[in-house]
Amino acid sequence: MGETVTFWVLAVASVAAALGLVFSRKAVYSALMLGVVMLSLAVLYAVQDAPFLAAVQIIVYTGAVMMLFLFVLMLVGVDSSDSLVETLRGQRFWAFLAGLGFAVLLALGFGNVVFAAPTGLAAVNQAGNVPSLAEAIFTRYVFAFEVTSALLITAALGAMVLAHRERAEAKATQKDLSRARFVAFGETGANPASLPGPGTYARHNAIDMPALLPDGSISQLSVNRHLARHTEELLEERSGELDASETPVAEITEGENSK
Amino acid sequence: MNTITAPAIEYLQLAPLLIVFGAGILGVLVEAFAPRYLRRAMHIPLTLLSLAGAFALVIVQTIKGVPTKPSAMGAVAVDGPTLFIWGTILVLAFISLLLLNDEDHFVPAASAVPGSAEEERALIEGNVHTEVYPLALFAIGGMLLFPASNDLLIMFVALEVMSLPLYLLCGLARRRRLLSQESAMKYFLLGAFSSAFFLYGTALLYGYAGSVDLAKISTALSANVGQDALLFTGAALLGVGLLFKIGAAPFQAWKPDVYQGAPTPVTALMASGTLVAAFGALLRVFWVAIGELDWDWSPIMWGVAILTMVVGAILAITQTDIKRMLAYSSIAHAGFLLVGVVAIGDAKQNATALAAILFYLAVYGIASIGAFAIVTMVRDAGGEAWHLSRWAGLGKRSPKLAGLFAFFLLAFAGIPLTSGFFGKYAVFQAAVAGGAVQLVVVGVVASAVAAFFYVRVIVLMFFNDPAPDGPTVVLPSWGTASVVGFAALATVVLGVFPQPVLDLAQSAAGSLFVR
Repeated sequence: MGETVTFWVLAVASVAAALGLVFSRKAVYSALMLGVVMLSLAVLYAVQDAPFLAAVQIIVYTGAVMMLFLFVLMLVGVDSSDSLVETLRGQRFWAFLAGLGFAVLLALGFGNVVFAAPTGLAAVNQAGNVPSLAEAIFTRYVFAFEVTSALLITAALGAMVLAHRERAEAKATQKDLSRARFVAFGETGANPASLPGPGTYARHNAIDMPALLPDGSISQLSVNRHLARHTEELLEERSGELDASETPVAEITEGENSK
Repeated sequence: MNTITAPAIEYLQLAPLLIVFGAGILGVLVEAFAPRYLRRAMHIPLTLLSLAGAFALVIVQTIKGVPTKPSAMGAVAVDGPTLFIWGTILVLAFISLLLLNDEDHFVPAASAVPGSAEEERALIEGNVHTEVYPLALFAIGGMLLFPASNDLLIMFVALEVMSLPLYLLCGLARRRRLLSQESAMKYFLLGAFSSAFFLYGTALLYGYAGSVDLAKISTALSANVGQDALLFTGAALLGVGLLFKIGAAPFQAWKPDVYQGAPTPVTALMASGTLVAAFGALLRVFWVAIGELDWDWSPIMWGVAILTMVVGAILAITQTDIKRMLAYSSIAHAGFLLVGVVAIGDAKQNATALAAILFYLAVYGIASIGAFAIVTMVRDAGGEAWHLSRWAGLGKRSPKLAGLFAFFLLAFAGIPLTSGFFGKYAVFQAAVAGGAVQLVVVGVVASAVAAFFYVRVIVLMFFNDPAPDGPTVVLPSWGTASVVGFAALATVVLGVFPQPVLDLAQSAAGSLFVR
């Protein structure tokens, strides 16, 4: 009874999360939805008398793989999005139709299957769940287990081949970088100093708040352009204030604020 | 405290596999520790010797006697057909690697953006990705394991071990890099999708039979009743995964794109080795695990075979890219081979059909490597002369090369005095004996359509005037030259005197798959 209730609750939760994973437009939301799906699976495994599998699911998938996935997302940049232009016209409609047909086929097929009561679980688990699993992995399935190592080596090697960049020249030192900055200053007048940090306001100290320069103007350089969602509203707000006090707004561009 | 008895592993029987995987791992160590200038010099002997050694061990095993029960605790079945398939794959892999060994097929720096200054720089400095050797060895190891796997679990692992390096290798072409990367991406996504189907099918069959062992699934067929939906759905999903790998008709879409985009030596390896391995696995699943169900699956297999032959033969006519044309030709050949898969019957009939398929796979693999080797030699300024119109008049400019290419095309078409004729003849004969006469009629018609586009290329090469700025034929390296020479020789010899190899295939198939 408890198993059935758990199943139906988790079935709804995990299918909803899986749909959210597919349809969410933001990669981070998708990743979190994936986490929900994985956790639901872990609970289902536990309910199915597979405690080891449930633990592994949480530790390896939800713990390690998911976190790695989120790290990669953050490193690649939360703002990078894929093009969603449909190159084959009507493809989504037909794919949806085919998927629906497949689901109906499976549901109708499995609805008619008569399952006998499961037997033999107690006998298999006699020595305990983990020892029995260990015996299966290291005797009957030892070859598959060993061959999987080839898969892991290939994956590591492939990641190196596709992503590793050989450094063709020595890495620029701090001295070189500084020199280059001042050469650029001499030639184009670009600001050689470091960029202003994000600002601190009485009401906000968020990282997406732009800084105020000494003359009261707003520095757009002080925030990452992907995070700068407040800049526009602030500019409006500030310009209202400034109009009132009749102080000119200095349009700050790179290079000018060094004077 | 209970103890686990150590598993019994028949190391000698598995030695070919272990040598290839071991050499792959050694190759990775070479990548890690050897200085850059030495790597290639170390990889070449390591790779070629390991393949030759594995082939020698296959021969030793054949002479010692074919094992009658599965090895490695029932995971790997080293039986007659497996040994023949291993020998075939190892020969094909050896000559593909001679081709792959040539310089300037692979990108100098895979991480550099195509067309960037970084790429230019890597090209000038002469960087090479020597990782392709261990990657190819892992792929070959997977190819060896895939047709030998005796349970669905190890078959899935082998499928992935075979495919993953190939996905990577496809994306490493030196020229037309965007096309190459696109092909790798497509192959990867579609391959992952088909693997998911394979896994779902495995899970359903496990639910049906209570085991992933092929023999146990076979015995469960008569014992379980009332769960047919599980069995049929599982078998169908498993079939999707396997038919995808051989490129049969509703699942053929990846083949032209991937063959076109991949570096040509890798295409040669895929067109020969992967096809052989995937057919071995397909036969094992359909003949051993669900062989008793042939009344249920053979109508579907009929449909797939007809569709594959027709789609391959007809779409090949419209192609203008030489590699795409060869890809569609490969699809059509997969269809001809499926005709043999349908010809299942009693033990004697099975042995005949199996021998025919094994022979066909061997001769087709060799001829297709030869054809792709010639494709690598006809060059334009920007790499291989891929457009068919560039091949016009090649027969007048370099008659020897064009003659050899025409010869391989005739072998594909199945003209007498080439090996392809006996391959087709054997498969169609087995199918007629198995009662699939209508299928053979479709096969012969499809062969005639296929012959049309092969002959069209021959006419283009010999009876058209060469363009003034036509492609040049590069002087082949010793590797490419020996590949073309070996392939041509094998195609002639097997076309005139096929009996020894046919006998070998028959004796290999005589014992059928172990259960």
